[in-house]
Amino acid sequence: MSKMNRRHFMQILAAAPLTSILSVPVAAAGAAPKRVVVVGGGFAGATAAKYLRRLDPAIQVTLIEPLTTYTSCPLSNEVVTGHRTIESLQIGYDGLARRGVELLHETVTAIDPVKKSVTTQGGQTLSYDACVVAPGISFDYASVEGYSEEVATRIPHAYKGADQTLLLKQQLEAMPDGGLFVISVPKGPFRCPPGPYERAAQVAHYCQTHDKPKSKVLILDANDSFAKRVLFEQAWAALYPGMIEWVSAAAGGTVERVDADTLTAVTTFDEHTAAVLNLIPRHTAGAIARETGLTNAAGWCEVVPMTMESAVHPGIYVVGDACVGGTAEFPMPKSAHIGMTQAKVAAGAIVAALNGLAPPVPYYANTCYSLVAPDYGVSVVQVYRVEDNQFVYVEEAGGISPVDALPIQRKLEAEYADGWFKNVMADAFT
Amino acid sequence: MCKIRLHAPLVRALSAASLLICLNVSFADDGKIAGLAATCNNCHGMDGVSAGSSMASIAGQSREYLETLMLEWQSGERFSTTMGRLLAGYSNDEIIALAAYFAEKPWVPAVQELDAKLVRSGKFATERCAKCHGETGAEPDGEDTPRLDGQWLRHLELETLKYRDESITLPHKKMTQNMRKIKEKDVPAVSVFYASQTGGQGESE
Repeated sequence: MSKMNRRHFMQILAAAPLTSILSVPVAAAGAAPKRVVVVGGGFAGATAAKYLRRLDPAIQVTLIEPLTTYTSCPLSNEVVTGHRTIESLQIGYDGLARRGVELLHETVTAIDPVKKSVTTQGGQTLSYDACVVAPGISFDYASVEGYSEEVATRIPHAYKGADQTLLLKQQLEAMPDGGLFVISVPKGPFRCPPGPYERAAQVAHYCQTHDKPKSKVLILDANDSFAKRVLFEQAWAALYPGMIEWVSAAAGGTVERVDADTLTAVTTFDEHTAAVLNLIPRHTAGAIARETGLTNAAGWCEVVPMTMESAVHPGIYVVGDACVGGTAEFPMPKSAHIGMTQAKVAAGAIVAALNGLAPPVPYYANTCYSLVAPDYGVSVVQVYRVEDNQFVYVEEAGGISPVDALPIQRKLEAEYADGWFKNVMADAFT
Repeated sequence: MCKIRLHAPLVRALSAASLLICLNVSFADDGKIAGLAATCNNCHGMDGVSAGSSMASIAGQSREYLETLMLEWQSGERFSTTMGRLLAGYSNDEIIALAAYFAEKPWVPAVQELDAKLVRSGKFATERCAKCHGETGAEPDGEDTPRLDGQWLRHLELETLKYRDESITLPHKKMTQNMRKIKEKDVPAVSVFYASQTGGQGESE
């Protein structure tokens, strides 16, 4: 019976001419179209723009993003180690343009939450009915003495942008056998919580397979634990025995100063001179979020759980790495995946608000894969719900891959990481 | 008033546009599941049509199959990697509604490059599969049987790997037995054959 229904449905679809989709006047004749301005074209911003158009084609959506090509951070560790090309992580904005999103490749210099307008470096001012702020993160270079944006062109963070990823790749390739690869992890929260530890595994794998077996990876951490810790420690020990060392904050892992000329990371108790120094500075919400007054004392944007609307400025919705969601015990991770679900919630809430309707039920979830070897993936899942307008972490769900998982699960999760990636790219940008 | 303005044209155009059906469903009182379904798109593609070869397209699978699979994952009866951990966060009603939602979406065969020689030997290799999945994989017989025609090759290969891996137990005994009976040399052809059965819709140029 369901087959009949499906066939019937397909026949109906096939019979409908495309023009009838486009010509349906959703907005009342004569009314000025509502406009939503999206600031930032990463996974979250792109998803918001797309789903706004998809949910209500009568809304005019403008996405403002300085770059014309987006480079994914997810899976970029694989570029560092040569398992995939940087091009495989890149995508343009044509797909969004085809959905009727207006693109403005510019930098936003000001958002006025009272006048409801956005101003760009080029001097354009766009008024909005709703604004989505998705600027991602900014680095607090001053968090490590001696570090700066300029020094980062020699000592990469490799945590944002193609140039940084490629710089770290070149440095790893040039590293002599026996060289020490140091990863400095900032005090959380930072984007992609398992990223540094996955990177350590992949660098160790690279060294094993590229004539650098005597090299070691040293993680200097400003935190006392980390995402998927038990799984990473298990994999490090099994696959890369003696190659990866982790120093917690309590053990003096916090890097306080860097000597850029000697590649020396100075911690609370010690000094480590590296062959390759990968220094990830502290993060805050993207600069425009701070300048607009959307951030709290810790530098992140608090939101209304039902809608993703800013807790500070009504009419502005903050999605992606810049926002803070979840609970104190289980904060939402800063991942592309959950940023996209936040963006879908915001899009639904905005369409509802602009049409005088109540917001739909919000759904937030995260799935995050880490590759510790080409055939060895591990994951973490989080599910959040909203009750009484508060985020609730669903404890019955979620969690990390089992510690005692069978080899086939590790293999499958590595395979699914690739399928996940292709789908999030397509879901956000096309 | 706004509600009327939004919905009246939708009713007229319901037959036409998936995007309008989506708008309708998003805001109708009984259709809140569209918001949850949108989270599935992250991994399974827009409206359940996957863009990544290891991930299954789920649009247009039967409601019964999707429901059975998801409920088995949710309860832990069926081995899964991440699906069990996700679905534990949702009610049975939500899962049943999700199954119905994706079952109503059109089945879209994947466009992918396949080894023509393997496709030719697939007819013979899939002899024991046809009874339940149908000759082309398009006519599954039961509530826990998926359609396979035009599914992503890599996904089919990984499912095959799962059923043939003796370290895990999957609930469908007949399927497990049959998969393990297939000769090693015939295995590659099975997935390629079903991936190729697109009725001309998924041919790559």
